[in-house]
Amino acid sequence: MTRYAMCIDLHRCVGCHSCSVACRTWNDLPMDIIYNPVLGGVCEGTWPNVHRNYLPTLCMHCKNPECVPCCPTGASQQDEDGVVWVDSKICMGCKVCVNACPYGMRDTSHMVRRFDEFVRKCTFCKERREMEPGADPYCVQTCHQNARVFGDIDDPDSAISRLIGRSDTFRLLEELGTDPQIYYIPDMGGTR
Amino acid sequence: MDMKQYQAENAEIQYKHRYWGWQIALYLFLGGLGGGILFLTWVLSAFVFPGVDMTQAFMLPNFIALLVIAFGLFCLVEELGQPPVFYRAYVTATSIIKWGAVLLTIASFGSLFWLLGNWSPESPVLGFLSVFNFFGGASGLWLGAAGIAGFGIMVYTGVMLSTLKAHSFWSTPALPILFTTSALSTACAGIMLSLCGWPGVADMATAAAAHEAHELLHTLDIILAFAELSILLIMVLSFLGAGNRTQQRVAKRWIKGSTAPIFWIGMIGCGLVAPLLLNVSGIPGASTLACVLVLCGGCLLRFLCVWSDDRQPLEGENRYYFRQKHADMAFASYYTKSGKELERGENFAYIDNLY
Ligand code: SF4
Ligand code: SF4
Ligand code: SF4
Repeated sequence: MTRYAMCIDLHRCVGCHSCSVACRTWNDLPMDIIYNPVLGGVCEGTWPNVHRNYLPTLCMHCKNPECVPCCPTGASQQDEDGVVWVDSKICMGCKVCVNACPYGMRDTSHMVRRFDEFVRKCTFCKERREMEPGADPYCVQTCHQNARVFGDIDDPDSAISRLIGRSDTFRLLEELGTDPQIYYIPDMGGTR
Repeated sequence: MDMKQYQAENAEIQYKHRYWGWQIALYLFLGGLGGGILFLTWVLSAFVFPGVDMTQAFMLPNFIALLVIAFGLFCLVEELGQPPVFYRAYVTATSIIKWGAVLLTIASFGSLFWLLGNWSPESPVLGFLSVFNFFGGASGLWLGAAGIAGFGIMVYTGVMLSTLKAHSFWSTPALPILFTTSALSTACAGIMLSLCGWPGVADMATAAAAHEAHELLHTLDIILAFAELSILLIMVLSFLGAGNRTQQRVAKRWIKGSTAPIFWIGMIGCGLVAPLLLNVSGIPGASTLACVLVLCGGCLLRFLCVWSDDRQPLEGENRYYFRQKHADMAFASYYTKSGKELERGENFAYIDNLY
């Protein structure tokens, strides 16, 4: 069965924030919402062996998400392919899921009309795949360093499965038992 | 300001704005208080004074419980992004919020029907309420339902926060115990302040039993204050000593950081120790003041807990939001203020105000 995941090669990421811009543009996000902040930019090492580490993020599309069972309306849901998304027509904006996500990957916008707030989050570009089956998410397509690789992790021949298979990867806050589906290849300067 | 200096000055950094506002803190307090009053009045009527009709003594306490639950629910709905569709909260069985909503509904209707069944106002304005006296036939059922739901609400307010394991200060079994103890203690105070009050008209036997109930609640409140004080100190101090980084950061803030005055003077001093001393002092009127202080302490506890929504930051998250908050906002507001019309100009100004 299809199970979508993403692998982000921190060694390749140059911290240009193009993925954030692409996501924001395509999803027409309000100014106070960002689905995939590129965190970090912390300098490490001693001259001349210095390095900057970036951590591009997005919703981890956890296999065991904290944000789905807690939703009282059923707006926050997970598809069979693992994509976690919010149905804006059902969400009542109680923000339980926002508080439940250990990664801070959900939020409501304050820039919409009162009584019109709902929770927004990365959808793994689900809408795009519905229009163009097999298409990559916008942030993946935009990354000029090919740092983001997206695909079906249950298919052993997919690019992502092969990449994860041959690399040393880590995931964020794994200890919480959320089973996040975003894999990271550590950076060479590595804060890890 | 460089990053090191910034971090030194902001050991208690909030990397993102708080998601839940004062409405939720107040709702947790009022829910616990109302639920506690309903539970205790049911226990006292059904088990402690089964031979006495306590209805008239508990009219005002139950009326207050109904009002605080209703106002708590109003706060909860007001905080929603889309208040008009609040009824959607009843849908998902896995959600603790759904069970909270169900319990609050049962408690509200139970206490409403109980009040309507037993209240026969003589004033011409409210006289029409007597037509609802037929609810009185199942008085015990309404109070029982409200009491059991009330117990559920007291527990639920703490459990709701403790299931959110993203926030490690909330995610502890001690929190529901603390909230339940505090809810019971504030409920004791609430009942003592309102026992036998309008619209109840107590006869001699009821008044005598009510007096006994008052003594009982007084003793119970002293025990509960000791218990709450112990749980609170054990929880916060063990977080400080043996918690993870997030728990330690919050505990430090409570004990010697920015919220220390609220914690030590407000919650521990005025909310627990002072009522304890007043209650054992025997000074006339001291017990009334103690009840008011207990109520204020309970409210402060909910606010402090809801404000302790720290999450373990991801690597570099603080730096990212620091820059967004200062550098990017300065950039955005520069263009807005200099009159260059951006498509979302008003929005920039809005974000600027946010921080
Ligand atoms: S990262 Fe957060 S929002 Fe995304 S699936 Fe996991 S818990 Fe839910
Ligand atoms: S904010 Fe919306 S999606 Fe999140 S828990 Fe509430 S109703 Fe569900
Ligand atoms: S997968 Fe799509 S929605 Fe998610 S961060 Fe990338 S561009 Fe945004």
